This record gives sequence, C-alpha cells and structure tokens, in this order.
Amino acid sequence: MSDATLPAIAAPRQRAPGIWRQSWYRFRRNRAGLIGLAMVTLVVLVALLAPFAAPFAPDDTSAMLRGAARRAPSALHWLGTDRNGYDVFTRMIYGARTALAVGLGAMIIASVIGVIIGGIAGYAGGMVDELLMRFAEFFMVIPVFVVILAVVRLFGIVVVGTWLEDIPNLNLMTIIVLLGCFEWPPIARMARAEFLRLRNSEFVEAAHCIGSSRRDILLRHILPNAMPPLIVLVALGIGGAILAETMVSFLGFGDPRAVSWGQSLYFNYEALKVAPWAVLSPGAALFVTVLGFNLLADGLTDAFNPRTRQ
Amino acid sequence: MGTARYIARRLIFSLCLILGVSVILFAMINAIGNPVEVLLAERPGITEEMIQAVTEYYGLNGSVTDRYFTWIWALLRLDFGTSIIYNLPVSEMLVTYGLETLKIQVPAILIALLVSVLISVLAATRQYSRVDFGVIASAMVGHSMPGFLLGIVLILIFSYSLGILPSYGAYSTRNPLWGSDVADALWHMVLPVGMLVFFNCATLTLLLRSSLVDVLRQDFITAARASGLPERRVVFGHALRNAFIPVLTYLGILFGLMLGTAPVTETVFTWPGLGALYIMAIQQLDYPLIMGATMVITVMLVTATLLTDIAYVAIDPRIRLG
Amino acid sequence: MLSTLAPASSPPVVAAPAPLLQVRDLRVHFHTREGVVRAVDGVDYHVNPAETLGIVGESGSGKTVSSLATLRLVPPPARMAGGQILFEGQDLLAKKPAEMAALRGRRIAMIFQNPATSLNPIYSIGAQLGEILMWHEKASRAEADARVVELLGLVGISDPGARLRQFPHELSGGMKQRVGIARALLCNPSLVLADEPTTALDVTIQAQILELLADLQKRFRMSMVLVTHDMGVVARMASRITVMYAGRVCESADAATIFNAPRHPYTRALLESMPRIDHSYTGAARRPLPTIAGRPPNLLNPPPGCRFHDRCPEAAPECRRLLPLETPVGPGHTVSCLKRGSEGIAA
Repeated sequence: MSDATLPAIAAPRQRAPGIWRQSWYRFRRNRAGLIGLAMVTLVVLVALLAPFAAPFAPDDTSAMLRGAARRAPSALHWLGTDRNGYDVFTRMIYGARTALAVGLGAMIIASVIGVIIGGIAGYAGGMVDELLMRFAEFFMVIPVFVVILAVVRLFGIVVVGTWLEDIPNLNLMTIIVLLGCFEWPPIARMARAEFLRLRNSEFVEAAHCIGSSRRDILLRHILPNAMPPLIVLVALGIGGAILAETMVSFLGFGDPRAVSWGQSLYFNYEALKVAPWAVLSPGAALFVTVLGFNLLADGLTDAFNPRTRQ
Repeated sequence: MGTARYIARRLIFSLCLILGVSVILFAMINAIGNPVEVLLAERPGITEEMIQAVTEYYGLNGSVTDRYFTWIWALLRLDFGTSIIYNLPVSEMLVTYGLETLKIQVPAILIALLVSVLISVLAATRQYSRVDFGVIASAMVGHSMPGFLLGIVLILIFSYSLGILPSYGAYSTRNPLWGSDVADALWHMVLPVGMLVFFNCATLTLLLRSSLVDVLRQDFITAARASGLPERRVVFGHALRNAFIPVLTYLGILFGLMLGTAPVTETVFTWPGLGALYIMAIQQLDYPLIMGATMVITVMLVTATLLTDIAYVAIDPRIRLG
Repeated sequence: MLSTLAPASSPPVVAAPAPLLQVRDLRVHFHTREGVVRAVDGVDYHVNPAETLGIVGESGSGKTVSSLATLRLVPPPARMAGGQILFEGQDLLAKKPAEMAALRGRRIAMIFQNPATSLNPIYSIGAQLGEILMWHEKASRAEADARVVELLGLVGISDPGARLRQFPHELSGGMKQRVGIARALLCNPSLVLADEPTTALDVTIQAQILELLADLQKRFRMSMVLVTHDMGVVARMASRITVMYAGRVCESADAATIFNAPRHPYTRALLESMPRIDHSYTGAARRPLPTIAGRPPNLLNPPPGCRFHDRCPEAAPECRRLLPLETPVGPGHTVSCLKRGSEGIAA
C-alpha cells in the first residue's frame, strides 16, 4: 500500500476522516512502520528500475572470461563477482524482481482462497463453517516447507518432455502456486472471524433492512471493513513467502533459470570461505526485504488497532 | 464436558488429521507421476522389463487406493519400508537421524524460552525505556533475520575468522576435542544451537514482551501490587502466567516444526540430521524415505498441536471444553 | 492488628483526633508524548480513624489517581510530582519500597472498580486470596484457607468452602466484588481505599454492596476512602466529603454541610444536577434536569486561574487569573473559591 493512495480513497466521499484516513494519521506517527514502509518502497523501486540501476546485465558472465570470478568488491564490481563470474550487485538488484513476484503472487493466491473460504464460513455459519474450518485445520498441520521441496523436485522431473516445459520459469511458478495454496489458512481464519463479527453488526443489519442485495452486503459492506486485519496478514505473508522461496532455492530446489537471491545463495554457498560477499549480499537484500515487510505489518497493526498503543 | 473426554476427543481428531494429511500427501505424490516412471526418468535406455521388475519389487502393481491402504497399514505397524538408496529400514534411519536433529533443536528451544522470559520481563517492566526500545528493536531485527543467514554469519566469524568452532558436522572424524567424545559433540553443537537460540529467542521475545506489557496494564496486576505482594511474585507469578497464554500457540509450532525446519539448519551446518537426510532423499528420489519422513514430521506437528490444546486447558481455566 | 485502631471513645471531642491519613499538596503528573498532564495538582485531604471520607468528582478529576497515589501505585507514564502522604504520621512517599510493600494489603488495602478485571483469571479464589495471607502473615496453607473461608462468609458469600476452588469467571459480578472486598479485609487493614466499588455493578447489587461496606466499616472500625462520581453513594456512606474538580479540591466538609450548605459553585451545580425523587422530569409539570454547561478543562494545558471558571456562573475577572487556595469557612469546612474569600495565587 502506498502512502499516496490511502487518504485519497477516503477523501472525496467522507467528511469525517474514514477508517483509512484515520489509520494513515496513526501510521504516520509510528516510526517503526514508516521505516518499514521506506524499506519496502526501496525494494519496490529497485525492482522496477533494475535495468537502470544495475551496472551489468543479469546474465553477464564476462568477468569469468577475464578470469575475474570470485573477485572481492572493487570500483568496477561494487559487491564483487561470484563463482560464475556474475556481478553480485547486479544479481542482487534483479533478485528483487523475483522476490516481489514470489511474495505478491503467493499472497494473491492465498488471499483469494482464504477470503473466499473464510468469508463463506463466517457468513454462512453452522455446518458449512464447521466443515470449512476443519478443512483449514488439515492444511495447518501439513509441514508446508518439506512438502514443497518434494513436490517441486518431483514435478520438475515429470514435466520433462511435456508442453508444460515450455512455460517460462515453470519451477518458480510451481513454488509460487504451492506457497499460495498452503498459506491461505491463517487468512481464512481471520476472514472468518471478521465476517462473523461484521455479519452481526448494526450497519449490516441496516443494509439488510433497506433491502441491499446479499452480494452488495458482502462486497460493499462487509469486505471493506474486514480488510484491515487481512492487510496486516498479507504484509507479513509477503515477507514469509519471499523467505520461503529463498530457502527452497538455497537448498537447491529452486528455478535454475531465475535470478533470485536464493539461487545466488545456493550457487555460492560452497565458496563461502573464498567469496563471502557473494553470499552475504543476497542475504542482506533478503533481510532488508523481510524486515521491511515485518515492520510495515507492525505499523499497520498499530494503525488499525488504536487501543494497543497508548 | 470433563477434561478426560475433551482430551480423548482432541486425540481422535488428531488421528483424523494425520490420516487426512496422509491421504493428501499420497494423492499429491501419485498425482505428480507414477513413482516408477519418475524413478527411471533420469536413467536412459530403460526397458519395459526393467520397469516391470521395479514395479513388482516395490509392489506398485495395484490401484492407487490399494497401494494407499497397503502403505497406511504398514505405517500403522511402524513399517516404513526400505530405503531405495541406502537399503536400510526407513524407520531405523528416521530414528538415528531424527535424534541428531532433536539433539540441537530441543536444547535450542528450551534455552531460547528461558532467555526470552528473562529479556521480556526486563523490557516489559521498563516499558518505553531505552532498555525496552533496544529489546524491541533487536528482537524485530532477529525475527526478520533469516535463520540460515545468521548461521552463515556465525560460521564466517567463529569458524573462518576466529577458527575456534567447527563449521560442519556433528562429530570430528578423528581426534575428538580433548580426547572426549562428549566434549567433541558439545563443541560441534555450539554454532547450530546458537543460531537456533537466537532465532527462536527473537520471535518469542517479540510475542512475550507485547503480551506481558498488555497483562501488566491489567487491573488484577495493580490489585496484586496493592495487596502487598512483592514485585517478583507479581511479575513472575501473576503476570507471566497470563502473558504466556497467547504465546503457547507459537511455542507449540516451534516444537511441532522442529523437524520441518531442519533442512535449512542442517544444510548450513552440514549436520547429519533428519533435515539433511530428507534433502538427500528428495534429490535421490527415495520414495519410502520421503513418505516416511514427511509422515513423521506431520505426526510431530499434530502431536504438538494436541499438546498445545491440552496446555491451554491446563493453564487457562476460562477455556470452555468442547 | 485491631489494637492499632483508635479506641471507640466518646463522640465529638474538642480536639479532633489525629488523622489516620493526611494528604498534603499531592501532585501526580502524567508524562505523555504531548506534554505533562497534571492529573492531580496540589490536593489536600485527610481521613480520621474509623470514618468514611467520600471523594467526589467527575471522571478525570484525579480522584482515582490520588487513591492509587496513596499506595504509591500510580501507573506509568504517571509520576508522583510532589506532596506528602502521612499515614499514622509517617510520610509514605519517603518510605523504602520494601517498607511500602509491607503496608500494602496489610495496613492499607484497596477495593477496585471493576471486579471482572481486578481478579486474576487463572488462579482460584482460594489461591489468590490465600497467597496474600501467606505472604503477609506467614500463614500456612491451611490457616490461610480457614481465614479466607471466614472472610468470604463475612462478605456474604454462600458456601464459602466450595468457592475456594472456583475461578473468577465462575462467579457473578456482585460475587466477584464481594471477593474483592474480602481480599481487601484479609489482614484487618486500618484504611481501605474503595475506588468506585459499585460503578460496574447492577443497580440492585450496588445497594447490597454499599450496605455490606458500611456494615464492615462499622464492625471493624476501619477508615475508608470512598471514591465515586455518584453523589447518592456518598450521601448514604460518607461522614465527610471532599469534592474534586480537574485535579484540585473544591470543597471539603462533613456530609451534612456539603448537602445542606454547600459553598462552592461546583458543589452546588453538582447537587442541582442530581435527579430528585420529589421532582418530575416527565409529564406536564416537568422541568429539565439541570446540567453543568461546558466540559472539564484539558489538564494538558489547564486554563490559568480557577479550574472551574469557564463553567462557573459566578466567575469574576480575577477568577481567570488567580488560582484559589483552600480556605476554612466554618468548623471542618474548607472551600477554594475567590468569591468565598479564598486567597488567590497567580498560576
């Protein structure tokens, strides 16, 4: 969420500051949240401007030919070169694109599944609620990380020779889809709790009374009011998904064709002793990104929940 | 409903969860592709007979449902099959490697718990002070620091720069430290345990401190102080126990995912545990080992969830059983 | 313990008995991000042995904070900013933390406003009350249990033996408040601070609890500070009344004087805004219930002069400039109002 859009959404329609604008006022006073927002903005800008910001092309291994692989940071290669002759700084910058694609992709999938399942459970209640929430519990006890490792590996073998192989970055797509398909239960739980709470609220009752359609009530009255806690979960989830993809790649099950921080870590970990910069740089980028999203989520929690802070 | 009946009901539900997950896992693995074809995919020039032989050998003739029931029936008898690459009983391997994992994970969680309690009390009783701010900031940083990155930094410092701690393995191949196997094992544990303690501690402190701050603001804490109870008892007896309630869930996940998060830790430190074994099994497509390890990790997670539920009942009398 | 109380002697003596609690020029400041809030700003009152002092004021007048200050338990970001609190002649603010802790619960006890939140939800009644006895009196578990049962019976809880093992959430609101009262009386304190003890309760329960408190106060000859915003409550409970407004004392006198001959404009306005049973507020002969126009000042930047001046019907120009000091206007009757002859200081 960007600082510019928040007040703009609420401003034209309401005279009294709406929930979004009020939250923004509170968020602005939260130092941790602002630092998080700055870090996330930085990562987003770097990802968008990668071709302009990076000194080399992401697949440029010319240093290798010059015999300059695994060189320490210098004026030419700001963060050194790695064992394949890539410029570490360049790979770090392009990695931001992959990271954000993974984080956003996974959380969009998770949010859609989570809000639909949780929303239905909370709004319908009764047997449907019971069944859907038990279903969510199954997903909560699946050891996601190890399952993803196995599925990515097996899937990678099966697709060989099929049309699926032609999909660019298929491996990365698989990881994104799997993360999305496994990370929805917390969102579903929160959405259920919010829908349950809002379903019985007075303004929804009022909407019923003036004859609003069920679709209108769900999409225009309940969903917008259920958003704040969900946004916090999504912000946290983006950081979590980026971390998960990096670890999958670090263990060697990532997409060999993707320029990701996890791939850099995987390829260079063996050479940690000789060229630590090639490992530390993508690691630091990952750390800044995850910290940024965590701080942002923290600030949003306080902004949406004024009573937690004095 | 009585406590015993509640626990019995949760136990039955837990068994259902495990069965459910086993179905999902089995279906997923089989949906991806026939194990035999996957196994032989990377071997060029295989013949129809070879496929037949392997299928026969691993009992992969029957329908998917038949195979599922054969597998689950064997699991119930704790028969996990035989590893394809090591040719050893999977159950035996899981125990051997699992113990190596628990050896670093259990102490790490316990130490982290102790340390985070002390730090949280220190910070929460001095809310808004510099100490508190420092604790929040470093806990947030530690919580966002990927565990393996921390491990890498520790290796760079203590193994490569200072050269005082080993960077890989659980034992020295020869010449154990001070000639003692115990000392040698402990010496190898320092870095992986240190990394896990730091990581667990950061998250636990973050949760516990904020929960403790909330509880310390409650009326019953003022009431306990107004009754003249010493501060030590107010904080540790009255506040801490209440503050733990929201942290229990995370603690349960920490215990439950001990094995699930092991692959990363054990890759960083080349630790011969279940996580490293799992990575190996996936790389080598060792189906019995993959399925066995995944089920053990699942059972661990479900058990921890069950114990968390029971702990809630034990610690919080307000929970209505049902 | 009871021996420390003043003996039940003959009524009005010429020389007033030495007060059990004397609060002098108490100041409590909240240090917030926006600035310093003077929640209690130079408050004086005293409590005689075996009497009930009612402290009346609207929310935010500093009455609760000043009773917490008596126990030196003001919550951060509040800080004691000055004054004296003499208990049996000794300044509590000068005591060491350990000495102070030994007084809390044993000599000075407190009853809280909300019984739902002032009992620890995860300990049984017997455990949390017994703990206090075991700490202060070094009682054994069995002795503590026996004493707790005795007190639970005394505060009107049926089947007290069975309640020992019950948890707060299993009791009704009124029951919980009775437990809270029993907790305060465990060690026979000579002073009980009751902070709005009935506000959170149903009206029918309120009367029972007040009756119980009045009865216990007489029976144990203890002193009580009853903090409330409800004039009706002080009317039936207190022998003397102190009226507070915006962190300062307006008027102090015995109950009869406050109700029959109030001097301070705020006290008068407060009394007029009480609904009366002999007036009709509906129907043909109705008249509006008088209210005090305006709202209490922001204590972050209190207006100069008398705190009440912008709501006061009698305000004169000097009221905007000078802060009135408490001045005696009759026996045991003090008022802070320039129009009643108080001296004013520029502040």
